Amino acid sequence: MPRLLATQSHVVHGYVGNKAATFPLQCLGWDVDCCNSVQFSNHTGYGLDKVFGTVTNEADLKELLSGLFDNFPRDYQALLSGYLPNKSSVRCMGTYYAKFKEENPEIIWLMDPVMGDEGQLYVSEDVIPEYRKLALSPRQLVDIITPNQFELEILYGERIKTKEHLKKALEKLHRTIPVIIVTSCDCKMFDDQEFIYCVASMKGKRPIVYRVPFIDSYFTGVGDLFSALLLDRVYEILSNPTTTLRFEDQVNNVLNVIQKVLKITRSYTSGKIKAKMGSALEMKEMELRIVESRDKYETISSSVHQANYIYARL
Amino acid sequence: MTSTLHTTKKVLSIQSHVIHGYVGNKAATFPLQYRGWDVDVLNTVQFSNHPGYAHFTGFKFSTEELVDIVEKGLVGALGIKYDAVLSGYLPNVQALQKVAGIVGQLCEDDENVKWVLDPVLGDNGRLYVDEKCVAVYRNILQNFRIFLATPNQFEMELLVGMSIHTLDDAKRAFELFHEKYPRVARVVVTSLELSEFSNDNVYVVAGFDSSLSNEIFFYKIPKINATFSGSGDLISAMLTDSLLNDHGHTQQTLSTSLGQVLWLVTSILQRTYDLNVAGQDPHDSAIRIKDLKLIQCRDILKQDPVPTIGKPETIKL
Repeated sequence: MPRLLATQSHVVHGYVGNKAATFPLQCLGWDVDCCNSVQFSNHTGYGLDKVFGTVTNEADLKELLSGLFDNFPRDYQALLSGYLPNKSSVRCMGTYYAKFKEENPEIIWLMDPVMGDEGQLYVSEDVIPEYRKLALSPRQLVDIITPNQFELEILYGERIKTKEHLKKALEKLHRTIPVIIVTSCDCKMFDDQEFIYCVASMKGKRPIVYRVPFIDSYFTGVGDLFSALLLDRVYEILSNPTTTLRFEDQVNNVLNVIQKVLKITRSYTSGKIKAKMGSALEMKEMELRIVESRDKYETISSSVHQANYIYARL
Repeated sequence: MTSTLHTTKKVLSIQSHVIHGYVGNKAATFPLQYRGWDVDVLNTVQFSNHPGYAHFTGFKFSTEELVDIVEKGLVGALGIKYDAVLSGYLPNVQALQKVAGIVGQLCEDDENVKWVLDPVLGDNGRLYVDEKCVAVYRNILQNFRIFLATPNQFEMELLVGMSIHTLDDAKRAFELFHEKYPRVARVVVTSLELSEFSNDNVYVVAGFDSSLSNEIFFYKIPKINATFSGSGDLISAMLTDSLLNDHGHTQQTLSTSLGQVLWLVTSILQRTYDLNVAGQDPHDSAIRIKDLKLIQCRDILKQDPVPTIGKPETIKL
């Protein structure tokens, strides 16, 4: 049975970070060890005056990770890292994860370089060099990254405006990272703004563009759920060289699961699909229905029951 | 407003967190979620693993952080209506007092909020909290409306002030408990070693529902040649589910619920044991199993309806 370590945020109420990732992975058979980089009452979309709790400080995070890796030096088949609140926590996670990866080269590390979205940073700027160091390390530490376009541009170092340019960026990052999944690309690069475009690229193969319907709503935690499911589906390929599973199908399958979870989540909201940021009562209704979706996380083997979101090759 | 067709039961679970393994919130959360609960998970500590291992690292959350999250956050700003609050390990006297005060008030203000309280003090004759916590728990049990308390044998002994060796002692302990703590509606003692059964290689799990009858009931459970961490936490979580999730639309008696929960828990312990000893040489001495194999027991946790472990025996008080 596979076991993974996930280091990211914890909210008491709601489903982002480890709360969005853990349960679906457990349903899929993973033993999930959750190292919480913060403990907050709820996510920050409720309004900053309505978030209580604390960040795990650097010394505590170090203690936790060193204690874990000392006690369980061979226990993990995969590592997951997501939102970390500051430079020292990214560096600390990076140091311990890198050491573990070098001692256990067969394991899979998925890093979601959480820095911001749509041109807006939501971590402090000194976090950037830490993620760049990890992503661009000649030691080839990270197996999978899941940036959005903004985060991809930060790691690459330039704005990306055309498909050609995107291709170049992926090629450059593939020197150090085998699998790159860009979770949302600027739709101006493609044709239609009614859709979300996602690009999945495996080193040595042509990148695949997926097009999924755009749900105009404010759901937090989708990216965290996406990374968790991708880790599960891509792990099945990377950990088994003789697999007949295809990368493009695995990603397509994850997109199908996400659409189902969003559909279930919407069915619980009272017709309102756009919550006001900062309105606690409205945000409460917009939490992903992670528990109610518990039958949806498994791989759907039949293509009859799922949409094909593959749109083009890059 | 969510539609009435779509209601998910909500529980606030206040317990310890270990990164590796399954005790406290890690033992309670997944089973509750898998059985359909929306679980708000408040961690009172964050440790690398539980102290049953030779080494562990980590920290305790301050009383102020815990209080702020519940009082200002969940209850204040968010106004969440919980169906249940499940409380377990709290790291010190002050945290216990404050958090219990808030939860207690919540249950006084709204009778729809049911408090399942595991008075975590210690096990097998050894305290693992400050001695002063005993008095604090006695106070809490006296003053607040509690739906269910789930002490183990040692904790029951501390709460009633007598030691339990025989079935008669157990009966007396339940009587004393009810006299001292009449506001606690139900109590389950999660493990009892009684001299009458010492040759049968069984332990006893006993319960009493003061709202229903004046008899205690108990189940005799065959022992597995091992000790487990987290099984008590699993029992209190699964009792919360069985008593409050309305699976069958009518509320079950405590006795029925306990029979089902014991089926779940013993099935999980047996599989955990089997997976741990697989491939090992046969052994005589009890092995110490540190981590429940909860994820490998998904099929057991999914059972609906849950079978029962058998018929309970009863004793009039």
